[in-house]
Amino acid sequence: MSMLDSHDKTTEPIDYTVLVQAEQGLVSRRIFIDPDIYEQELARVFGRCWLFLGHESQLPQPGDFFCTYMGEDPVLVTRAKDGQIRAFLNSCRHRGMKVCRADEGNTEAFTCSYHAWTYASDGRLIGVPHYKEAYFEELDRAQWGLVPVAQLDAYRGLIFATWDSTAPTLDEYLGDMKYYLDLQFGRRPGGTEMIPGTHKWQIPCNWKFAADNFVGDLYHAPYSHGSAVKVQGRTQAAHRRRAATMQVNPGGGHGMGVHRPDLDESRGARPAVVENYIEATRPEMAQHLSYDQAYRVAPVHSTIFPNFSFLNNGTIRVWHPKGPEKMEVWAWVVVEKDAPPEVKRAMLRNAQYNFSASGIFEQDDGENWNQCSASNRGYIGRRQDFNYQMGLGHEERMEEFPGRRGFAFSEINQRGFYKRWREMMLLDTWDELRPGLRNSGER
Amino acid sequence: MTTASRTELRLEVEDFLYHEARLLDERRFHEWLDLFTEDLVYWMPTRSNRLRKDIANEIAQPDHLAYFNDDLAMLKGRVARLDTDMAWAEDPPSRTQHMVYNVQIDGVEGDELQVHCSFILYRNRLETEVDIWCGYRDDVLRRVAGQFKIARRKIVLAQNVITAKNLSVFF
Repeated sequence: MSMLDSHDKTTEPIDYTVLVQAEQGLVSRRIFIDPDIYEQELARVFGRCWLFLGHESQLPQPGDFFCTYMGEDPVLVTRAKDGQIRAFLNSCRHRGMKVCRADEGNTEAFTCSYHAWTYASDGRLIGVPHYKEAYFEELDRAQWGLVPVAQLDAYRGLIFATWDSTAPTLDEYLGDMKYYLDLQFGRRPGGTEMIPGTHKWQIPCNWKFAADNFVGDLYHAPYSHGSAVKVQGRTQAAHRRRAATMQVNPGGGHGMGVHRPDLDESRGARPAVVENYIEATRPEMAQHLSYDQAYRVAPVHSTIFPNFSFLNNGTIRVWHPKGPEKMEVWAWVVVEKDAPPEVKRAMLRNAQYNFSASGIFEQDDGENWNQCSASNRGYIGRRQDFNYQMGLGHEERMEEFPGRRGFAFSEINQRGFYKRWREMMLLDTWDELRPGLRNSGER
Repeated sequence: MTTASRTELRLEVEDFLYHEARLLDERRFHEWLDLFTEDLVYWMPTRSNRLRKDIANEIAQPDHLAYFNDDLAMLKGRVARLDTDMAWAEDPPSRTQHMVYNVQIDGVEGDELQVHCSFILYRNRLETEVDIWCGYRDDVLRRVAGQFKIARRKIVLAQNVITAKNLSVFF
């Protein structure tokens, strides 16, 4: 076979049906490195999906704001005087300067530092210098407010938005995943809150390595995280718990590793004060949600398509894309509002010790994703496929819980993630994309 | 305190800090751990961009999210991890150079000294990876049996986004 044959995935025109064959468990390494694919991804994935912005508790007062990104677009999230949360492109309509360069705070209005166009926190353009002399009062200020997101909504305190007015509602977008999100963010009637402070760090890797890892990769845990598991004396315990863990694919590219406390009563990895608190609040959870959600399923790890992930220790994060080979992690810790202070404190310390730039687990993830990504730079490397065949053909629909499942190590959720990614890249309308929000029973 | 004795004390502190930096650069992490007191707080807060009027909130509070907020047992856990031969972020290990300078003694109270310094930590790793962290430290040094020990360490990086794939080294 010639090196430059017609099937060369690195030189042929982009064909997503060839590059992503999720049903066979094959994904071309080209999608993790190709700049053209990355550009299309910004438009077709990040321009159209519901993306995580932050937590409602970050904006307690009118005038509060914080900055984030949707894809590579800077975004300003505000709570205006009317109490409404809104999000805008953080860019002046006149020349594009960022209208807000602070990470967070409280303000009456946002004044662009270039020519002083001024916007209210509801996005209206309320100040244009020299409006009379320079614009003869002809500029229609109502038309030149900040560019708003097309839709914004929150689920269990988590704020999401999309640029696409034709996208389905957040409720429909999350679909069956809501049942599993509730296991972490809807346990108690008082809801959750974010602990102040944001971890931000840059990993030279394609963002999909991280989303893929959190959506369904328990296979890496015993070895990637061998050092941390060993130091914490949990090698056997972790093995036992994995035997009672399943990967759940509810559709939409989302996924969660779910532990079955009804099949395994061993203690989890969180500090004792946290594990005791979780146990003690199960009866209330059974009342508030359902018996099954309180006693039979518990979250381990998860990704909401495309780039919002979390773990049961309270860490939540967004994998911001910064080019084909760069990602910025923004991570926070979310706790239950009504948890006792010692539980919140233990959650925070445990989460940041294990999962953050310095986290004794997460350090090793960064190392792996960095090298995985860099290895696709070479011509020969790029031609290869990654193998996502683990547990292929061994998935099953569940009677008792939403979605389909695979065993703890099964790559069912990574296959679901890339299948959804391929749909986003191939299909032009949400009429075509809508069916993929449900797990139709395919692999 | 006379100028001479103040200078003498500062030199003594500098000797201690240089010794500590050398232990880290020579990867003598167990000896490094011996430099801390049992009640250690090893803290690196997050740092956000704030408007000047709000600059008091730039550095996160102790009960907020931090890059490090370790007691001695947690710090020992980080070193124990390196000994497992499975700590991939540091195996093969990084090459580090800790530079400590602008040492000032902010106060003396009984057995304890408040010591401020600036640092540059250069990390070079694998083939060509380079990270440079700059910042300042506020330490509380305590004299225990005639030797300095570190009882508190606050590390403040001159960074908002950490421009590194991890913080797998010690500050």
